[in-house]
Amino acid sequence: MGEPVLRVRNLSKTYMQGKIPVHALNDVSFDVEKGEFLSIVGPSGSGKSTLLSMIGLLDKPTSGGVFIDSVEVTKAREGDVPKLRREKIGFVFQHFNLIPTLTAFENVDVAMRFARVPKSERKKRAVELLTQMGLADRMNHKPSELSGGEQQRTAIARALSNHPAIILADEPTGEVDTKTRDMIVKLLRELSEEGHTILVVTHDTAVAQQTGRIITMRDGMIESDKRVIIDNDIEPASTHS
Amino acid sequence: MFDLIIRNFSQRKLRTGLTIFGIALGIFAVIVMGGMSEHFSTMVERSISLTADKIRVLPEVGLFGASLNESKASDVKRIPGVSDAYGMLQSPLDPESLGFGGDMVIGIPPDKMGSVLKDTKLTEGRSLAAGDNYRTVLGSSVAREFNLRTGDEIEIRSKKPGRAKSITNIRNFTVVGVMEYTGSFFDGAVIIPLDTAQKFYNRGDTVSFVLAVPDPDTDTEELARRIELNVEKVKTFSPAELRKQIEQSLIIFTLITLSAAVLAAIIGSLSVMNTMLMSVSERTKEFGLMKALGADTRDIIFMTMSEAALMGILGGIIGVAGGGAVVYYLNGYLASRGTVLFSITPRLIVISIVFATALGVISGTYPAYRAAKMSPMEALRYE
Repeated sequence: MGEPVLRVRNLSKTYMQGKIPVHALNDVSFDVEKGEFLSIVGPSGSGKSTLLSMIGLLDKPTSGGVFIDSVEVTKAREGDVPKLRREKIGFVFQHFNLIPTLTAFENVDVAMRFARVPKSERKKRAVELLTQMGLADRMNHKPSELSGGEQQRTAIARALSNHPAIILADEPTGEVDTKTRDMIVKLLRELSEEGHTILVVTHDTAVAQQTGRIITMRDGMIESDKRVIIDNDIEPASTHS
Repeated sequence: MFDLIIRNFSQRKLRTGLTIFGIALGIFAVIVMGGMSEHFSTMVERSISLTADKIRVLPEVGLFGASLNESKASDVKRIPGVSDAYGMLQSPLDPESLGFGGDMVIGIPPDKMGSVLKDTKLTEGRSLAAGDNYRTVLGSSVAREFNLRTGDEIEIRSKKPGRAKSITNIRNFTVVGVMEYTGSFFDGAVIIPLDTAQKFYNRGDTVSFVLAVPDPDTDTEELARRIELNVEKVKTFSPAELRKQIEQSLIIFTLITLSAAVLAAIIGSLSVMNTMLMSVSERTKEFGLMKALGADTRDIIFMTMSEAALMGILGGIIGVAGGGAVVYYLNGYLASRGTVLFSITPRLIVISIVFATALGVISGTYPAYRAAKMSPMEALRYE
């Protein structure tokens, strides 16, 4: 494989809790290839959400760097961050985070507006993505009229709209039932098979087991990094401790 | 982006509606007060321009009832630089009124009509002529108020100055002419011959004031001083002094307008700011999400500010329309009673709308800043 889509290098983040420093991330490094379907697991407080925020440019690391498509995004100037977020990253959240006043179609459309995509192109793309998500007949419904699974599929369509390098999903199945969960995971896996790079943060082992690679975090560090083979045979990729 | 703004806008209809209503009320006040002040200043402007070339000569003790003997007119006329001088008598048409802003009976020597009214034309009939006794030329408002035309009669009552009651004379005057609308105090004038006025009001040979017409190319300021020095017991108002004095009294109207505007500004902008802050904090998550989706700071500022500006514009339009409607009906009502109080000039409309929009934009600044500064992390964590 060529250049990794995502390179995380010696990433550390220290928060101050009063006068006590808290090391949320401690020298984390790993690479993700294009088309990988990867999960980051670990108990709460292990640093997985912090890691996701750093990759998603929602927060700045104390030291180390994140490279997406060979660009060191953590070094980007404040004014360039929105552009990088638009072009490189698609977010899928636990609480779906759709704009309640907009329909499913408009929620997908709005992400492309920020990227200044022309209207006709936006419409075509939104319809195409929502159809792909099986929401062709739900497009003009507001989030409140959609089921959890439908809302999350809308959010996935939105995340895909600007052709991002990576999809970051934070507990994407945290608020849906198991049947919907399986459907969403299957959808994400299909997307990775189409070449999308997908990074899922979860503490649901059933979800993690269906991804191609599991990074386990503990105390701000990577405890293990394992590749998962189709029949659930686990083979170590590399191990950090 | 505008459909998004409109949508946010229409989400909270009641709150947005109330805010717009608040601004509209403020602008309504600006329009009504401003209309009044505009009317007064145009009226004063027109009145001054009609008399701008003449020096007013008044009795020295300018209290009510103090009067000037008509002989002063010839004294004034003798002064070098004065081409003509004549006395005028002024009295309220309704002797019971205080004489402020109401219709006035003005006694003018008939042969001086042209000098007094300058280029004011008559819409019907003729001007006064020598030998007209109980005949009158009416201002346009008076004619409209009493629905009078040439040939009709108008009843004039007189009363001894200073006395509370006792109408001394009642007399019908025949209308011989009606003046065009001038926008000045002449619209409320009932012009009668000076000698008839003196007789009718029992004023003997006295007049209210003398108007001195300067020779062309004479320095009116200097001439006014010369009149004061050479004629006993008079004081003069040159056109410039008159203007200054009237403008001073107009300051009060300007102040009323200004304070209405300032009040409207404070109330309106506070309510816009309140609404926008509420709406921004309610949408914390939405703005955070938009930033996570890659919205630029300027996208968010644009959206928030436009929402506030839209409230201002709508409030402004509604205020102007409401104020305009009220003024229109009020003027219609007042016109039937012979006076007009408001004029809504294009300038006033433009100022009001610009003002309302600026209010919206200014009070939207801080909420927009808050929205734009929101960290997507914090916003998304916020449940």
